[in-house]
Amino acid sequence: MNPTRRHFLQTSAAASLAAVAVGCDKLEIPQGLLVGRRPAAPPDGPYSTPAGKDIDLVSHALNRLTFGPRPWDYQRTRKLGATEDAAFAAFLDQQLAPERLDDPNCENATRRFELLNEPLGELFEYQEKHLLDALVRSTVLRAVFTERQLYEVMVNFWSDHFNIDPSKGDAKWLKVADDRDVIRAHALGKFPAMLRASALSPAMLWYLDGRVNKKANDADKPNENYARELLELHTLGVHGGYSQQDVMEVARCLTGWCVQEVGRSKLNLGSVEFKPFQHDRGEKVVLGHVIPRIPKQAKPEEIEKLGRAELDTVLGIIGLHPSTAKFIATKLCQRFIADAPPAAAVSAVAEQFIASGGDIPATLRALFATDAFLTTRGNKLKRPFHYIVSALRATHATTDAGHAIQDYLLRMGHAPFHYPTPDGYPEEAAPWLGTLLWRWNFAVALTKNELGNATKLDADKLRASFATEENQMAHLLGRAPNEDEVTACKDSGAPLALLLASPSFQKC
Amino acid sequence: MSTPTSLTGNGDNLKTLVVVFLRGGADGLNMVAPAHDDGYHRARPRIAIKAADTGAAKLDGSFVLNPILKDLAAPYHEGALAVVHAVGSEDATRSHFEAQDLMERAGDVAGGWLGRYLRFRGATTTGALSAIAVSRALPESLRGAPSATVMRSLEDFTLGKGGGLLQASLEKLYAKEHDALGASARDTLAALNRIENLRKTTYAPAHGATYERDDFAQGMQQVARLIKARVGLEAVSLDIGGWDSHITQSAIMDPEMRRLNGGLSAFYRDMGKMMAHVTVVVMTEFGRRLGENSAFGTDHGRGSVMFLMGGGVKGGRVMTKWPGLTKDVLEGPGDLPVTINYRDVLAPILQRHSPKVDLAKVFPAFELKPQAVYG
Repeated sequence: MNPTRRHFLQTSAAASLAAVAVGCDKLEIPQGLLVGRRPAAPPDGPYSTPAGKDIDLVSHALNRLTFGPRPWDYQRTRKLGATEDAAFAAFLDQQLAPERLDDPNCENATRRFELLNEPLGELFEYQEKHLLDALVRSTVLRAVFTERQLYEVMVNFWSDHFNIDPSKGDAKWLKVADDRDVIRAHALGKFPAMLRASALSPAMLWYLDGRVNKKANDADKPNENYARELLELHTLGVHGGYSQQDVMEVARCLTGWCVQEVGRSKLNLGSVEFKPFQHDRGEKVVLGHVIPRIPKQAKPEEIEKLGRAELDTVLGIIGLHPSTAKFIATKLCQRFIADAPPAAAVSAVAEQFIASGGDIPATLRALFATDAFLTTRGNKLKRPFHYIVSALRATHATTDAGHAIQDYLLRMGHAPFHYPTPDGYPEEAAPWLGTLLWRWNFAVALTKNELGNATKLDADKLRASFATEENQMAHLLGRAPNEDEVTACKDSGAPLALLLASPSFQKC
Repeated sequence: MSTPTSLTGNGDNLKTLVVVFLRGGADGLNMVAPAHDDGYHRARPRIAIKAADTGAAKLDGSFVLNPILKDLAAPYHEGALAVVHAVGSEDATRSHFEAQDLMERAGDVAGGWLGRYLRFRGATTTGALSAIAVSRALPESLRGAPSATVMRSLEDFTLGKGGGLLQASLEKLYAKEHDALGASARDTLAALNRIENLRKTTYAPAHGATYERDDFAQGMQQVARLIKARVGLEAVSLDIGGWDSHITQSAIMDPEMRRLNGGLSAFYRDMGKMMAHVTVVVMTEFGRRLGENSAFGTDHGRGSVMFLMGGGVKGGRVMTKWPGLTKDVLEGPGDLPVTINYRDVLAPILQRHSPKVDLAKVFPAFELKPQAVYG
C-alpha cells in the first residue's frame, strides 16, 4: 500500500472518531475506533525502592538486562519472587520469552514508522533521510518504551556486532530490512541462523562489498572485504586461528552473490541473487576443510546448487567454531560483566554457546549464572545511548526521540546507525570518557524540559510516585543514597539534574 | 602565569585543523589565475584576471591572486600560505551533490573523512570540544566522529542559567571518584570554567585584527576564541555557501571571495604565532569550465584550488602539476583536469596533526601519493 493512501486512511479514522465524539454526550471512545492500542497504565504508587546501601540483585538485573528501571520497575520485579534470587530468576524467564510480554506502549510509540515494515523493493520508494530518521527514532523509542528490554539490549548488541553504516551505497535503503530481518529476527534466536541471514543480507552485501565479489573470468580477483570481516569481526575474532590464505579462500567460496542495484535494475531492487557463472568453481581449502572443485562438465543447475552450498559450508565451519564461541562469549561478558571479564566466566559462556548450538538465550542464561555476573555490580560505564535512554526511563519522560534527542546522541558520538566501520561502537569505557559535558547538559535540559515540545517530564508527578525524597533518590541510584549524595542534592538547587549527572547514574 | 591543566592529555601540543568548504563549485581559475597561460586569456576574454590588474598579487611569476583575495598575499609571502592548483576529486559527474558527497566521504564508504580521522587518529579519547561544525547542520565530512557538535553559541557549552550550584555539587561528588570517570569529570569541570571565563569577557582579537560581521568571519572569530581558550578543539568545519553561479559570475562569486579573504586574513593576523599549531584548509567540490559562457559566467568543471594556511605548511608557493590549457589536455567539455587528488593533500596534514593516524582507514580504497605539503 502506498504511504499517502495509508496516511489518508489513518486521517479518516481520526476524522470519524471526531464525529463520534461530537455526537455523544459522554465522550467514550469505542476500543475498535482507537488508532492505537489502549496504553498499559503503570501500577499505582508510591513505589518501593531499593533499601540497601549496596546494589541488590534485583537492582543489578535492572541495570544490566534493561536500559534502566522506570519508577515502578524495581517494585514490580522484586515482587516476582519471595527472595531476590527467585525474583531475578522469574524476571529472566520473562525477559527471555519476549513474545509472551504484551507491549502496547512500545507499539503505540513506534506505530508511525510503518515504513519500517515495507518489503525490500518498496523501501526504495522512500527518501533515504526519512528511512534513517525512522530507524534512529524507532530504535530509541523501542529502547525507552518496550517491556521486552533484554531483547532490545540484545538488538543493540548485535547491531554493533554486525554493524552496517547505512550511508554507503544502497545500504541507505536496505539497512531497514537488515535491522528487521537479520538483527531483530534473530536477536534472541540461534547464532548460526543470524550469521546466515547477515551473510545474505543485501545491506551487508553492499556495506562490505560482497556484491562485487566475483570470478567471472581469469582476470577477476575476489573481493576479500566481507570474508575478512566475517572471520575477524563476526565469528573467529582477530586471533581466532585463520590465515590470510583462509580469508582469500572464504572470499572465493562466496563469489557470485550479488544484489539488484539502483541504477542498474528496475525489477526486484535489493533482492539477493546467486550468479553461478560469477562463482569461482576451483577447489578451496578453508581452515583445513577441502571444498572440492565444481566439475567442468557440471550442468548449470548443478553449478548453481554446488556454488550456493559453499556459503553454507563456510558458515558451517566457522559458525560454531571454538574461536567463535570464545569471541562471542568474550563480547557478551564485556557487555554484561566488565570491560575485562574474568576468564572463567568467558569459558563457561563459550561452552554453553557450543553445547546449545549457538542458542542465544541458553548462552545468556549461562552468563547470568556466573559468579562474575552476580557479584560485579555498578562497575560498567553506560554508553551514551544507554545513558540517555535510562534517564528518559528513570524519569518516566514522554519522548518522540526527535531532533533534540538525536542531537545529543550525535554530540556524544553514539547515534544509532552512525558508526562508519564494521567493528561497531566500542563497548569499553575509555572511548566514551572524553567529556561528560554533554551528559550533564542533557541532564539539565531534560529536567528543565528544554528538549523540544515532545520530550517532557513531570517532576511533580515523578516525586509523587515515591513516599519520600530519599525513595526517589534510591530509585535513581539503584540503592540507598549516601550522605554525600543527600548533601549534594540539597546544595545543588537541582536535585533531579544532579542525580542524573552524578557518578552513579553514569554506571550500571 | 601558570599553565592551565591539559584537557586532552597533550596540552600545548594539540593541533587544530580548520576545514573551510566552499560549497557550489568555486572557480579556482578565477581565484588564482594562471596569468602566464595564453589558453586562459583566450578562453576567458572578458572575465580573465590579468597580471597587470590593480591589486592582483603575483604569486610565483606564473599565477596571480584575484585582487579581491589581496589580503591573502601577506600570509603567502610570509611563507604561511600555499596554493594547490588543478586539485580535486575523481568524481566527474559535475553534480554538486555527488561531488560534495564524494569529497566529504572520500569515496563510496561509510562516514566522512574528518569523522574517520578523529576516530582513527591514534588517541583513545577526545576532548570536551574536539570537533565542531560552525554551521546549521553537521556536514557529511564529520559523520562518524567520536563526538561532534554543531555550534550555535557559547551558551551551548554551559550548564545553563543557575548552573553554578549544580556545578559545585558535581565537583564535590566527583572528587571522590578516583577512576577514569573522575578524571573525565575533572577535565569537564575545567573546560566549563574556561568557557565561563570566555563568556564573561568580550573577545579582543590580537595584533589589531578585525573580523567582519558576516557569518564566516564571525565563525572564524569563534574558532580563534576557542583555540586560545584551549578547550581541546581538534577539528572544525565551516562552510561558505553560495558559489554556484552560471551567469555574471562576479556578482555572485565576488562577495563570497570577499568573505573568504576577510575571514581568513583576520584569523591569520589574530592567531599570530599560534598559527603554527593551526592548519586551515580551504576546499571546494569542483572548479569551473575554462571557457567563459555567453553570460559572463562559467559552468561546472573539474580541477580547482585548495588553500593551505599555517601549521608549518611550506607556503609561498603554488603546488601544482600544471597540465597546460591546450585542447588536448582539457577534460570533457573543456575543463581543467584534476592532476592532484585532494586526499594526497589532506593525508600529510592529518599525519602531521596525529602521527599515529591510520590513513588507510581515513582514505580507504585509495592509493595515497602524499604531496610534499611541508616541503
